[in-house]
Amino acid sequence: MNGLRGRAAEAGLRVLAAAGWPGPADAEPPRLAGFVHSNFNPIVAAVAGRCLAELPESAPPDGDDAGTALVLVSDLGDVESAAHVARAVDTGARVGPLFFFQSVPNAVLGHVAARHALTGPVACVCDAASGLDVARGLLADGDAGRVLLIELDHDETGETAAAVLVADGGAS
Amino acid sequence: MNVMTRATADVLITGVAVLSAFGRGMGALAAGLDAGAPAFAPVGRFDVTGRRVGVAATLPGSPDLATELAALVDEACDEAKLSTAERAATPLFLAVHGDPRLARSAPADRPRHGGAAFVAALAAGAGLGAPRAYTSACVAASTAIADAAGIITRGEAARVVVAGGYLVDADQFALFDAGRAFAADGAIRPFSARRRGLLLGDGAGAVVLESAAAARDRTVAPLATLAGWGRAGDAHHPCQPHPQGRGMARAITAALRRGGVGPDEVGYVNAHGSGTAQSDAAEAEALRTALGGHAAAVPVSSTKALHGQALEASGVLELAVTLHALRGGRLPVNAGYLAPDEQCPLNLVLDGARPATPAYALTLNAAFGGANTALLLGAEA
Repeated sequence: MNGLRGRAAEAGLRVLAAAGWPGPADAEPPRLAGFVHSNFNPIVAAVAGRCLAELPESAPPDGDDAGTALVLVSDLGDVESAAHVARAVDTGARVGPLFFFQSVPNAVLGHVAARHALTGPVACVCDAASGLDVARGLLADGDAGRVLLIELDHDETGETAAAVLVADGGAS
Repeated sequence: MNVMTRATADVLITGVAVLSAFGRGMGALAAGLDAGAPAFAPVGRFDVTGRRVGVAATLPGSPDLATELAALVDEACDEAKLSTAERAATPLFLAVHGDPRLARSAPADRPRHGGAAFVAALAAGAGLGAPRAYTSACVAASTAIADAAGIITRGEAARVVVAGGYLVDADQFALFDAGRAFAADGAIRPFSARRRGLLLGDGAGAVVLESAAAARDRTVAPLATLAGWGRAGDAHHPCQPHPQGRGMARAITAALRRGGVGPDEVGYVNAHGSGTAQSDAAEAEALRTALGGHAAAVPVSSTKALHGQALEASGVLELAVTLHALRGGRLPVNAGYLAPDEQCPLNLVLDGARPATPAYALTLNAAFGGANTALLLGAEA
């Protein structure tokens, strides 16, 4: 259980699965090929995969037309990588090419979408209320059959994340 | 699943403001598009020593993003004749990479420089409500516009202001250079043989989207209709498009279906047309899939060859471009073209702006993550 799950239910969304990061046994997130320097992208991929794995096999399909959308909530994005690039620019140091490919939060969503065959819309917003509203709108308008909503927060101890897979209507 | 809702309440565009390397205002943009001369020049805004490529399409000097956005939002709201009370009841959606100060902020100060705080400050200054920031790369603005249209259609708001902004900066320039994404020959050549990649450009804008009923009540004349919108994912790769443009084809199809518009009614396509080898070929394939035989006939241009790639602001800048095409009677040129590419068999607008009065026009955007959007504008308002 996590706060995102409760807020999704309060928003009138049907929660099909939920997951969080870190769990009791988690230390570092699994490495993610092609992504470097920070834990932002590995955590997003890990919590997304964990949430999708929680989906019961008996769950109805996401619809072969609209598919499952991905909505990422992050106020600061991959700020550790952005700060690294800023330091490199300011000191005349080399910027590694992999930082280009992870320079926007969409990139890791593309990884998640490809790995799990999620063909719905892809969006990134900066606060959870907006993320929930985007998810609700996509479902209400038939632009997605399900939404995988991921929230990543930064605090003094690092990043924490939660994910819910939601569908339209009903209580969880 | 739900069946996609039709746009039962017409969504109108009642105000627009724009900034590009051609200058501030729709007049400057229109003049630049009609002239058809790319705005790329050596970068003077920051040091590009050691970079593979040193050009971009920029305004003079180093304009401040927050200041420019505040002016654009005001201008669009003024054109839409929004009162103070109407502004207060209007949500503001902003497409932006983030607060430009975030990456150089001390860790303890970072929360003050998040995207949420940045859009909240802009909304407070403009007297608008319900701020929301989108950071979805090159589909950030078009996604915000689609979401705004959905909110209006569902009757949850009478109108939404959508703004977006990107001003060429040293960090993004360094990243794109490191990723070898820039066109080393200093030109964007969308859908052309020997295209080499993209170049960055300043872009920012604001648009007021409003229900037809609300605009009618206020006796405000619309600039155009937002007749349809669609978005879909490729589910293919973190940063490469699906080779057949799978997501883009579905986005276009959704926009047309939502608008109740047939492919052959589309009279112009303002393409994403980044000028990269894979993306342009995928987009051409998507157009063939979504429009069928009409894909080879409908006039297409990517105006990134003129104003550059404005990243998160692309959707609002290119919506302004498409508005000009609908209202100005001239389709902007697909500049930089060298020779046909058999992977891109499109009816490109070459040899200068082409006279035309399309009833409907599509503006397309794609981004990392396999994100694709299609907005369908109608001139019939």
